[in-house]
Amino acid sequence: MRFSLLWRSTDPSAKQPGRIAARLQGWSASRELFLLDLAYLAVITPLLLLVKAPMLLFLLLVLTLLLVGKKGSTATLMLVALTGLLAVFFSIYGAFNFAGLSRLKLFVELILYLLLLAVSLQRLTRTINFYLLISPVLLLALSLFFFDSIAMLGYVVFEVFVLLWLILAYRTRADALSSLRITGMLFALSLPWVVLLFFFFPRISFEHASYGFRGDDITRTGHDGTMRMDGAALLVPSERIVMEVGFLGAIPPEEQLYFRGSVLYRDKKDHWEPLPAYVRRAFAPKQRAQEGMYRTIEKVTAYKVSLYPTHKKWLYLLDLPLEAPEGATINADFETTLEKPIDEPQHYDAGSALVYRYGSRTERTVLAYALDVNRSAHPRSSAAAESIVAANPDPKQRLGALFRFFRDQNLTYSLRPEPLDLNRTADSFLFDKRKGYCVHFAGAFVTLSRLAGLPARVVTGYKADRKNSVNNYLAVKERDAHAWAEVYVNGHWQRVETTAAAAFVDDESAELLRRTGTLEDNSDRLTRLNLYLLYVKYQVETWVLQYSHFRQMRLLEKVKKDPAFAARLAAAFALLVLASAALFLWLRRPRCGNRLLCLLRPLLSRLQRSGFVREEGETLHTFFARYLAAHPGSALAEVDRLYHRQQYGSGKEDAVQFKKSIRAFLREKPSQGDPDAR
Amino acid sequence: MNETIAPEFLPLVDAVEAHLLGKRHAISLTLAAFFAGGHVLLEDIPGVGKTTLAKTFAGVMGLDFGRIQFTGDLLPSDILGVSYFDQESGKFVLKKGAIFTQFLLADEINRSMPKTQSALLEAMEEHHVTIDGKSHDLKEPFFVIATQNPYEEVGTFALPHSQLDRFLCSFGIGYPDKEAERAVLLGGGRRAAAAVPLIDATAITAAMNAVQNVHLSPMLLDYLQSLITYTRDSGRFVYGLSTRGALAMTAMTRAWAHLHGRDYAIPDDVQAVAGEVCLHRLAFKEGVTTLARLRHELFSHVSADA
Repeated sequence: MRFSLLWRSTDPSAKQPGRIAARLQGWSASRELFLLDLAYLAVITPLLLLVKAPMLLFLLLVLTLLLVGKKGSTATLMLVALTGLLAVFFSIYGAFNFAGLSRLKLFVELILYLLLLAVSLQRLTRTINFYLLISPVLLLALSLFFFDSIAMLGYVVFEVFVLLWLILAYRTRADALSSLRITGMLFALSLPWVVLLFFFFPRISFEHASYGFRGDDITRTGHDGTMRMDGAALLVPSERIVMEVGFLGAIPPEEQLYFRGSVLYRDKKDHWEPLPAYVRRAFAPKQRAQEGMYRTIEKVTAYKVSLYPTHKKWLYLLDLPLEAPEGATINADFETTLEKPIDEPQHYDAGSALVYRYGSRTERTVLAYALDVNRSAHPRSSAAAESIVAANPDPKQRLGALFRFFRDQNLTYSLRPEPLDLNRTADSFLFDKRKGYCVHFAGAFVTLSRLAGLPARVVTGYKADRKNSVNNYLAVKERDAHAWAEVYVNGHWQRVETTAAAAFVDDESAELLRRTGTLEDNSDRLTRLNLYLLYVKYQVETWVLQYSHFRQMRLLEKVKKDPAFAARLAAAFALLVLASAALFLWLRRPRCGNRLLCLLRPLLSRLQRSGFVREEGETLHTFFARYLAAHPGSALAEVDRLYHRQQYGSGKEDAVQFKKSIRAFLREKPSQGDPDAR
Repeated sequence: MNETIAPEFLPLVDAVEAHLLGKRHAISLTLAAFFAGGHVLLEDIPGVGKTTLAKTFAGVMGLDFGRIQFTGDLLPSDILGVSYFDQESGKFVLKKGAIFTQFLLADEINRSMPKTQSALLEAMEEHHVTIDGKSHDLKEPFFVIATQNPYEEVGTFALPHSQLDRFLCSFGIGYPDKEAERAVLLGGGRRAAAAVPLIDATAITAAMNAVQNVHLSPMLLDYLQSLITYTRDSGRFVYGLSTRGALAMTAMTRAWAHLHGRDYAIPDDVQAVAGEVCLHRLAFKEGVTTLARLRHELFSHVSADA
């Protein structure tokens, strides 16, 4: 059998002019080389993304040589080898020094280049040897050092499948389709084992060598620790995912989905800043929120977060975070930070109280900062605040009055506001322009509160949108970046959703938001599908790519503690075993082109078991006649008659009668008339 | 081979067999070829009963029997006939040749010149002859058994491939088996009564029509086509089977099925005739082409009912 499915130009009579066509024909004639090249095609494709330009040029040269059919003479090979070495040199030129070799990635890259060079040289000689045969596997293993995304995970599974298929095609000389079938069967058989082994033997992780599958490594921006008041802060609502959250229970209601980032106190005209470092140092950050930092907590919810690199040090946790992930700390303002900026995706588990009341332990210096305001810069706000203070001596009522005043200014929510006067932002926003987004609302309200004698601060972070959720999975996007205010009333901080005071949304912003789908119920199917894909991606990242020894321990603990969960896990595994067995059997099923022959199958295997084997080239009729000669009076005569009449006659098929006759034969005792038994 | 010939044809076969002991398969093949409307090439050494077969067969079928012994100096006009000027009537009169018969035994066909050979073969194909520009139809049914001696080489003109293709099938008669030979030695074959016609022209026409209508199921056509394709693509033969060869295989299969009392053909019918249909059409690239080898080659590589 030829490998005709993949390569069709084996017909020698088909005249194909041109040297390259002739070359291709010769190529397909040599089956081993052809299979090997297919293997290379599979493994080198992803590597092409990372090899540097000189090496790429070198590979192109090798390909051209192969295509024009240059016979690998010694001189050519020497030349190619020299070119290759030059390409390797230029590829790692600059990055290369002996200290650099200790960096695993560079070292592996060098090995990869040398391997590519060796393989190219050997391939040019057109002779296959053992080294050439194992090289695709080596290339596959090397590519794992560079890629760590879900796409590559899928591709590696594909690569393993293709390599297995090619090995089978190479070893068994079966045609493409049947070796594909066998490969599928092997895959189906291995599936439960892979899962089992994966469960018990998590991925080996070296402490410092960072390679392997680790999810997308893409830099994200959004919240950046300060809050800029100028118009350039936000241009278009971005759909980029900042982090993905998996809740253990149901997703909390929308008004509780505030992910806390940084807390800002200092109005620097064009932006807001956090407390100066020396003030912050007064309170040593803790790993857990201490009693006294909060007064009451309720509805503690647990969730997992996957945060993409932000190059900042904040971890975003729901208000109010109770415990910081390992390596992070919580400070007095409940900011959760790492010591170093986040350059790699972070995956952490967290717990937060969604209904809470802050404790009253706030440092006096902090309160002083929270009251600091430049009255002379905001004469109109100042006047308004004074009249509110006069009317509402009670701080709590005063806060209500402030919010009402704020709301009554008929402010417009706009993503493209006119620039404010940065010397007096609050006055400019509240009384002149009256247009802005969350940042301006929060900034102006904090200023107004301070003018009214209430300590206030700006909190920035993300307010998640439940529309971006599936089941208990929630995606937080850049467009969800938000700022709100916290006001210190009656000895504790209280959150004020300042943007809620907006009376209008301008047309342009509404259009922008609608296009990206937040304002209206965007049930666009594509968006929904995209969300599901994100969900699947998140689950794969959590349970496959991030599955570590630590996760395994947690899982085992949970299995020990929760028998229901253990049962579910066992059931899922049993289902997997069943599914793979079903897949295996489905692939193994005898291919049945003809219904009557299929019906005959049990009969034929029965005959075979009783020692009657159909000879090579024997027709069924002759075969049956042979049996009938040894076993006169057998019901096989009727089977024979019906089979031939229905298979070859012009009459209609009557499967029922045929089946009946087969059953009649099968009911006959196997020993009946058996020559050996007599 | 398991031969259960239909009751209506059984007397015919039995009657011929009485003269040609133990050669049932050869007789059945001849009968099948006759019903399929083709001609037979008998290839065997002298003295195994080729002529007996032909003569008895013609007698049993009630056909006019004619015989031409092919020699090196035989002319086409000896076969076809000549028109000569009759002085009494003052007209050209046709003197019909030996071919104007229903059953023609062309003995040792390879001993004559190609020109003479092709005169016969053309007549076989067309069922009419042209003499002096005038076309004359032959009697129907027209059936030729040609014999050739495979081992004689001096003074023979081997039939070219294209001419051989015109015979529906070709086979040898072979030596009789031990029992039959013993019976022959005791004079069994000679003692049989002279052949009398056992079938009439209407029955022959009916049988010929029935053969044309034997059903070929898709499954059987698949098998036939696989066999034909194998002869062409396997690379084991010098030539593949021609379309005429494929048609011959189909016609013989149908005739064999009808001979065995079925109005549909089964793979056994194909296997019974395929070797004989291909024997004079195919040649192995390497080694000798024998019937047994041909059968084994075809049937073991192309399986039926699978």
